[in-house]
Amino acid sequence: MASAGLETEQAAICPMGGGDASLLARVSLTDPEISARPKPYYDAMRAEDPIHYDEKLGMYLVSRFADIQTVQRDPITFSVEHGYSEQYAKGFAAEFKEILIRDGGGFFPDAIMTDPPYHTRIRKLMDHAFSAHRVKLLEPDIEAIVADVIESFADKGQADAVKDFSVPVTIRVICQQLGLDATYADKIQRWSLAVTAQIGRMQNREQMIANAEEICELQNYLIERIKLREAEPGEDMISDLVHATTEDPENPKLTFAEVVSLVRALLIAGNETTATAMTNLMFILATQPDVAKLLQDSVDDERLLSRFVEELLRIEPPVRGLSRMTTREVEVGGKLLPKGAHMLLMYASGNDDENEFTCPRNFDLNRSNLGRHLAFGGGPHRCIGLSLARMEIRVAAREVVKRLDDIKLAIPIDQITYLPTVATHSIERLPITFKRR
Amino acid sequence: MSSLTVTFVEDNGTVRTITGVAPNQSLMEVGRANGVEGILADCGGACACATCHVYVDPQWEDRVGPPDDIEAAMLDMVSEVQLSNSRLACQIKLSDALDGLKVTVAPIY
Repeated sequence: MASAGLETEQAAICPMGGGDASLLARVSLTDPEISARPKPYYDAMRAEDPIHYDEKLGMYLVSRFADIQTVQRDPITFSVEHGYSEQYAKGFAAEFKEILIRDGGGFFPDAIMTDPPYHTRIRKLMDHAFSAHRVKLLEPDIEAIVADVIESFADKGQADAVKDFSVPVTIRVICQQLGLDATYADKIQRWSLAVTAQIGRMQNREQMIANAEEICELQNYLIERIKLREAEPGEDMISDLVHATTEDPENPKLTFAEVVSLVRALLIAGNETTATAMTNLMFILATQPDVAKLLQDSVDDERLLSRFVEELLRIEPPVRGLSRMTTREVEVGGKLLPKGAHMLLMYASGNDDENEFTCPRNFDLNRSNLGRHLAFGGGPHRCIGLSLARMEIRVAAREVVKRLDDIKLAIPIDQITYLPTVATHSIERLPITFKRR
Repeated sequence: MSSLTVTFVEDNGTVRTITGVAPNQSLMEVGRANGVEGILADCGGACACATCHVYVDPQWEDRVGPPDDIEAAMLDMVSEVQLSNSRLACQIKLSDALDGLKVTVAPIY
């Protein structure tokens, strides 16, 4: 933890955000320009109003590292279940639900976005599948996919890092894990965006209806696959979930509705967020030549690669904000919140907290507290796929620097656009140029 | 089935000796089931988060052994509190050979 002395010292050696307090009264996270480039807003919050009420969004934004930690470590006071369901399809929830029941096989609430003790049961069933040791066994398969995707564009000299690299890699990996058909890649990409838009708070009614139709199609596809795996198990995660048994003799299996919701969650969570991290990888390589050079020179240094991945996640966390709701009156960060207060944990802001990370805007592989970043959240809801995500990004980093050189942005930085959502901070397209190495 | 005894020293100095422990579970599971301060185990024992970090008592280091590569990589992410006897409790499988094991819980991370 930093002292005032450290802050002064930092101010002398690295550029600090400081806070433009007037920003807080004027803007909202849902304003397109703030959503795309939110750092000044985060800086102002941390400096002036750490639990800031964003009126347009109707949520308390938790901006400091320590407060985010406090909230995520108390899943009873700060309910994911209430926070998430309040966020879901907000403004259109009833109509959304109707469409899914009518055309999508049913409305299946996310079994993982729940509170203990129910959450503990679900989580236990899934932890094993994602252990670091099990994921390590997947490395050769992931490496083959990454290499194949890079080779598909390596000689062209230019590409869109999102469309040509990040999205195909992550979709192929998650399809392989779930035993799904990777030729559905375009659909899966559309389905993913439709699902994440439900917690993004930036869709209008027309978009909600279009997204709901996509989700219906997704669910109908998954239901068919799940039924197939019920009858005929295979070596994939859908089979694992369908046939998983819990320690609870009263309730030994997941229900069909739970399986649908979990497969849907795995498909989406393992896709969009990891793809964003891979795009950010290309962004960093294109804009920080020193880091790119260091990686090139140490491509077989596993320790350095692992550190690179964590620092990439710290400096540009793909998930921007997930929600909680207070189940009682409680004080957080000096502010008294009523029961039912809807909160958004601003992970990127926490990762930029000068009290936690010295010179937070510096990409620094030598941090002694790399593991403290909030990109995977924390507490009992910490991202379950974190080992798989780390592995995918690490392999991607290694294969990219092995095969490509002199990566540069093909558009000015200020022309990069981001998906309109408060849930993630995702580059929409990233044109780059490069040479084959 | 034998039953074991393990001791956690919490970061604040409180000594928690737990008896009647069944083997074939991880040290993390024992700590979490008994509410040992600082054994958070966010990732559920997947060797993926370093929130069950302990320092193995020097007398027990040989018997517990060193971390493997995957665990070592995870400990490297918390290098500011990593020591030569650091282990993740989720990766320490209890057995008769570890009856009496003593560890100190690392600061909450």
